[in-house]
Amino acid sequence: MSRYMPDGWALPAIDNKNRDFFTSGKIVVQACKDCDTVQHPPEDICHVCQGSALESRFCSGEGTVYSHIVVEHPIPGSLKDRVPYAVILVSLTDHPQIRILGNPVNIEARDVAVGQKVRAVFESLEDKEAGLELKIPQWEVIQT
Amino acid sequence: MQGKAAVVGIGETTYYKRGESPKTEFQLASEAIGKAVEDAGLELKDIDGVTSYMESRNDPGRLSAALGMKNVAFAAQPWGGGGNGVAASVALADAAISAGYAKNVVVFRALAQGQFGRFGQSKPRTHAYGNSAYSAVYGFLSPAHVCAMQTTRFMHEYGVTQDSLAEIALAASAHAQLNPRALRYGKPLSRQQYHDSRWIAKPFHLYDCCPENDGATAIVVTTRERARDLKQKPVPILAAAQGLGKRDGALIFNEPAFPTSFNREVGQQIWERAGIQPKDVQVAQFYENFTGPVLMAITEMGFCKPEEINEFVANGNIQGPGGKLPINTSGGNLAECYIHGFELINEAVRQVRGQSTCQVPDVEHSLVVSGPGFSPGSAVLFSSD
Repeated sequence: MSRYMPDGWALPAIDNKNRDFFTSGKIVVQACKDCDTVQHPPEDICHVCQGSALESRFCSGEGTVYSHIVVEHPIPGSLKDRVPYAVILVSLTDHPQIRILGNPVNIEARDVAVGQKVRAVFESLEDKEAGLELKIPQWEVIQT
Repeated sequence: MQGKAAVVGIGETTYYKRGESPKTEFQLASEAIGKAVEDAGLELKDIDGVTSYMESRNDPGRLSAALGMKNVAFAAQPWGGGGNGVAASVALADAAISAGYAKNVVVFRALAQGQFGRFGQSKPRTHAYGNSAYSAVYGFLSPAHVCAMQTTRFMHEYGVTQDSLAEIALAASAHAQLNPRALRYGKPLSRQQYHDSRWIAKPFHLYDCCPENDGATAIVVTTRERARDLKQKPVPILAAAQGLGKRDGALIFNEPAFPTSFNREVGQQIWERAGIQPKDVQVAQFYENFTGPVLMAITEMGFCKPEEINEFVANGNIQGPGGKLPINTSGGNLAECYIHGFELINEAVRQVRGQSTCQVPDVEHSLVVSGPGFSPGSAVLFSSD
C-alpha cells in the first residue's frame, strides 16, 4: 500500500529496540521474559521487575481508537498539500493498556472518532539509505 | 518552604511579538533582572543566586560576568523540558533561600524567538530517531499535537465542550483588555471569532494556541527576615510542589493516567504543604500552552471534578475581578505575552501586592500552575502574610 504521509517524509531510524516494530509486519509490544509484563515503547528494562531480559511479542493487530487529532495547520510547510490528516492513538485489543500512534488509512481525517474499531495494516517502504525493507504499522477503521 | 522565603522584586521588559524585539535576548534578560532588583531596593551586586528553566543561552556565568554579581553561590534549573518548570524554578529559589545556600536569588526567563529558533517547530529530516520514530513518522510533531491528543480524550471522557475551551481564551482576552502591557490589549476576542478561527490541530482552533513572543521577566527571592528592610511588601512563597505520578513518565501516551495534565500529585502536595484547600485560593494563573490542558489542570489541582469543568469555567466564573476563580488575570500566555509562562509569576505576585490591572479583592492566596501536559508538573502558591 502507498504511504499515508507524503513520499520522502521521515522514515524510522531502525535500531535494536524498534527493529521488529517497523520491519516485522506485525504489531509488536515489548515483553519481559521474567515477569511477562508488556510495555510500549520498548525500554531498556521492565517497568515492573526491572529485569533486562526483554523480547518482542506479536499481537493480533486489532485495537480501538482511544484518542485522535486532525492536523489542519501544516508544520512544516512541506505538508501543506497533505493536510488535513489524522493521527490516532490506538488501544490494543490484546493489551488495552498499551497505546500506539498511527494514521487511519481508509477514512477521511475528519471522520475519525473515539471508539472506532481498527485493524493493523502495513506500509511497505524501502529505506535505500539504510538498505532496509520497512513495514510501517498503520490502521484501517473496520467499524465506525 | 512554609513561607520562609518571599518575593521582594518583580521586573519585566516591554513585550513584543515574535521577532519584533529591537534588543537581543541577553539584553532583555539583563533588563528584566535589573528592573526586578531595582524594584526590590537591592543592587545587582547583592544577587548571589540564579535559577531558571530551559534557559540554555543566558547562563549564570554570562549573566554574573555582565551584571557585576560578586559571588553566585547557587545556580540551578529543574529537569523537564519546558513550561512545566515555571513554578519549579521558583521552588528552587525557595529551597536555596530556605536552606541558606544563597541570600538573594534571581529567577528569570528570557525569549527572543526572532533572534533564535522558534518553539513548536519541527524540521523535516530523512529519519526519525529513538522514541520520535513512533510519532514523527506519522506526522505527529509538535506540542500542539501532544496537547490536542490529550484534550480529545479528556473531552470524550467527561463531555467537555468546545465552548469550555473557548472560555479559557475568552478569559485571557478579557483580562488583556485591562492590561496596557498586554500584546492583545485593544484587540478583544469574541466567542464567535473564536469559533470561526481556523483549526490548527483539531480540537484546537487558532485561539486555543499560545502565541510566540519576545521579552523577559524576572523576580527576586530572599528571606522574609531580610525582606522587612526592602522596598516592597514581601510576597511569601507559602508552598511549591513538583509532581511525577506513577509511570507518568511513560512515553507516547502510555502513562496509565492518560489523559493527564501531570498535576494530580502537584495538587495534593501543595495543599498539604500549605495547609489550605483550593477554595481558599482567590486568584490563579494557569500556564496556557493550549486551552484544553488548562481545563485538565484546573480539575487535577482540585478546583472541581472533571465532570464539573463545563460549569466551572462558564458564566464568567473564571473572569476577574469578580468571578469565582479569576484565572490568568494579566491575559496570560494567550493574551498578555508568552515569556514561556514566567510572566504568570509576576502577575501572581502583583495580585498579592494589590497591583494587578485586574485586581481581585482581598487576595490571601495566589496560585501559579506551570505548563500542563508535560511531566513533571509544578505549581507555586504565594500568600499575603
